[in-house]
Amino acid sequence: MSKKESRRRFIGKSAMATLAALVGSKVVFAENFPDELEPVGLESNQQDEGIPGKSNQLKILNSKPWNAETPPHLLDYEVTPSHLMFVRNNGIPPADVDVQNWTLTIDGESVDKPMTFGIKELMNDFDHYSYNLTLECGGNGRSEFNPPAKGNQWSLGGVACTKWTGVRLKDVLNKVGIKDNAVYIGYYGADVHLSGDPDKVVISRGVPIKKALEDETLIAWAMNDKAIPVMNGYPLRLVCGGWPASVSGKWLTRISVRDREHDGPKMGGQSYRVPKFPVPPGTKVPDDQMKIIESMPVKSMITYPKTGAVIPKGGSFEVRGSAWAGDLKVSKMEISIDFGVSWTKCDLKDPVNRLAWQRWSTKVKLPEFGYYEIWARATDEKGIAQPMILPGWNPKGYLNNASHRIAVRQA
Amino acid sequence: MDDKSLIDIALKQAKKTINIGLMVMIFCLFWFVQNQFYPNIFSPSPEVVSLDSTQALPDESMMFELDSTTIENGIHMPTGLIVDDGVQEVMTTCGACHSLDLVTQNRATEEGWKDIIVWMQETQGLWDLGDREKIIITYLGKNYAPENTGRRKNLDVVEWYNL
Repeated sequence: MSKKESRRRFIGKSAMATLAALVGSKVVFAENFPDELEPVGLESNQQDEGIPGKSNQLKILNSKPWNAETPPHLLDYEVTPSHLMFVRNNGIPPADVDVQNWTLTIDGESVDKPMTFGIKELMNDFDHYSYNLTLECGGNGRSEFNPPAKGNQWSLGGVACTKWTGVRLKDVLNKVGIKDNAVYIGYYGADVHLSGDPDKVVISRGVPIKKALEDETLIAWAMNDKAIPVMNGYPLRLVCGGWPASVSGKWLTRISVRDREHDGPKMGGQSYRVPKFPVPPGTKVPDDQMKIIESMPVKSMITYPKTGAVIPKGGSFEVRGSAWAGDLKVSKMEISIDFGVSWTKCDLKDPVNRLAWQRWSTKVKLPEFGYYEIWARATDEKGIAQPMILPGWNPKGYLNNASHRIAVRQA
Repeated sequence: MDDKSLIDIALKQAKKTINIGLMVMIFCLFWFVQNQFYPNIFSPSPEVVSLDSTQALPDESMMFELDSTTIENGIHMPTGLIVDDGVQEVMTTCGACHSLDLVTQNRATEEGWKDIIVWMQETQGLWDLGDREKIIITYLGKNYAPENTGRRKNLDVVEWYNL
C-alpha cells in the first residue's frame, strides 16, 4: 500500500475524520494533479460517509463536486430543514474555515473606495433581517430534456425554501458608497476549482444592481437560525431569492460592484443562459444569441403524498405542496386527476414574505378503481401558468417548469 | 368447365398460396424484429433498477481496477461505468477531476461528447487528450448515446405503498 493510499484509508475510515478532512480539497489534489493522473479514492469514502451535514436520503447526483437533490416528499415543509436542502457545488468547498478572520470585501469599478468587513462587523454595524427565500437551481428539471442537456441530471429536487438571516446588501453598499454608473454586482467565493488550481475562480455570477438593492437580497450568516451548512455556503452567503440559485454566491469573500454586466466564470458563454428566441429541440445556439436567465418561472411541487400511493377504496386524502414564481407571487394553484381534462382549485397560502414559496393543499377522492396521475399547476400573478410538457428546449437544460406529476392508485 | 374457368381457379389458388406465404413471411419478419429490437415489448416492464455508483467499495484502491472482482454484468461497480473498449481511459482521464457520476448520468452523441471535452478544455482547465480523445469519444458515444425520450416520459413508480 502506498503512502497516499494509506493516508486515504486513514481519512476515510477514521471515526475522528473531521469535517475539514471530509470536504477538504488539499488532501485530494495536492499530490494527484496534474503530473500523476492517479484517480482519487477519497470520493468513494466521502460517499460512504454521506454528504457532510446532509440527510442520506438526498439523491446524490455527483460526489465530486457534491451535487444532491431532495426527493419531493421530503420537501413537505413551509421551511425546508437544513439537512434536506439540496447541494449544488461547482467546486470544492473551503476547508478549515476561520470564522473569526473571515472577511468580505466590497470592490469594483463602481464603488467609491473598496471596503472590507469581518463577519462580526457586519453583525454589529447593520440591521439584521430574516426572510424565507426560495432558491432553485437553474438546471432543476434538466433530466427531462430531449435531446439531453449536459450537466448534472436534476429531476425535481433542486429547490428549497429556507430562512436566511443576515444584513441587507443594499445597506452594506450604501455604507461603502456606490457610483451612479453601477449596473451589476458579481460575487466571489472561497471554493476551490476541481482542477486544484488555487487561482482559478470556480464560479462568479451576480445580478443587476436593481435586484442587488432589493430588501430581500441578503448577505447571510445564518440559515434556519443556525450557521449555514458547509455545503450551502458556510460561513457567509449572498442570497437573492427567486433567481437561479447560482447567483447566490456561497462561501462569500468578495462582491464587486461593476460598471458593466458582470463577466466572471459561468456568466458568459452558454452557462445559465437560454436562447433569445425559441428554438427547435437540439439546436446549437451561438453564444451571442443567448441571454442571461433572471427570474425563475412559475412552478409547483406535490410534496404529499409521495408518488406511488395506493388509496383505500372510497378513501379521500390530502394532496399538498409548494408553489413559487421567481420574483412574483403565485395567484392560483390547481390539480388534475384526469390528465389535465379538468382542474380543481386548491387552497393557496400567502408567502411568509416576498420570494418565499407558498404552501397549498386540497382534498382528493378518486372516482373508481384504477391508476391515476395527479398533476399540479401553478399560475403566477401575471396569469402565466406551468406547461404540461417540457417548455422551450434550450442547449443547457434550464428552466424546466413542467407540471409535477405523481402516480396514485385506487384500490 | 372451360379453359377460362380452369385458369381462373388456378389463378385464385396461386393468389391464395402467395397470400399465405406473404403472411408467414410478414409474421416471421415481425417476430424477428420484435426479438431483435423490442424483446420485451409484450412483457410488463421490469422494475427499473438504477445503477448506484454510491455503493460501498470493497477497497478504494481498487476504484479504477478492472478485473472480475470489480465487474458485474458488464458494469464496473466502483464507478458505474459500462465495461467496453476505452473504459480505462475514461476512468483515469475523466475521473482525475470529477466523479464518474457526471459521465454515467449524461447522454450525448460523439459530437456532443466532443463539445463537452472542448468546453472543459476552454473553461475548466482540461488538458489536450492527444490519442486518448478518439478512444474516449468513441466509448462515450457508443455507451452513453442519447435515447429519444419524447416530450415526456411515463412516470416511473419505484415502489407502491398503502397510504
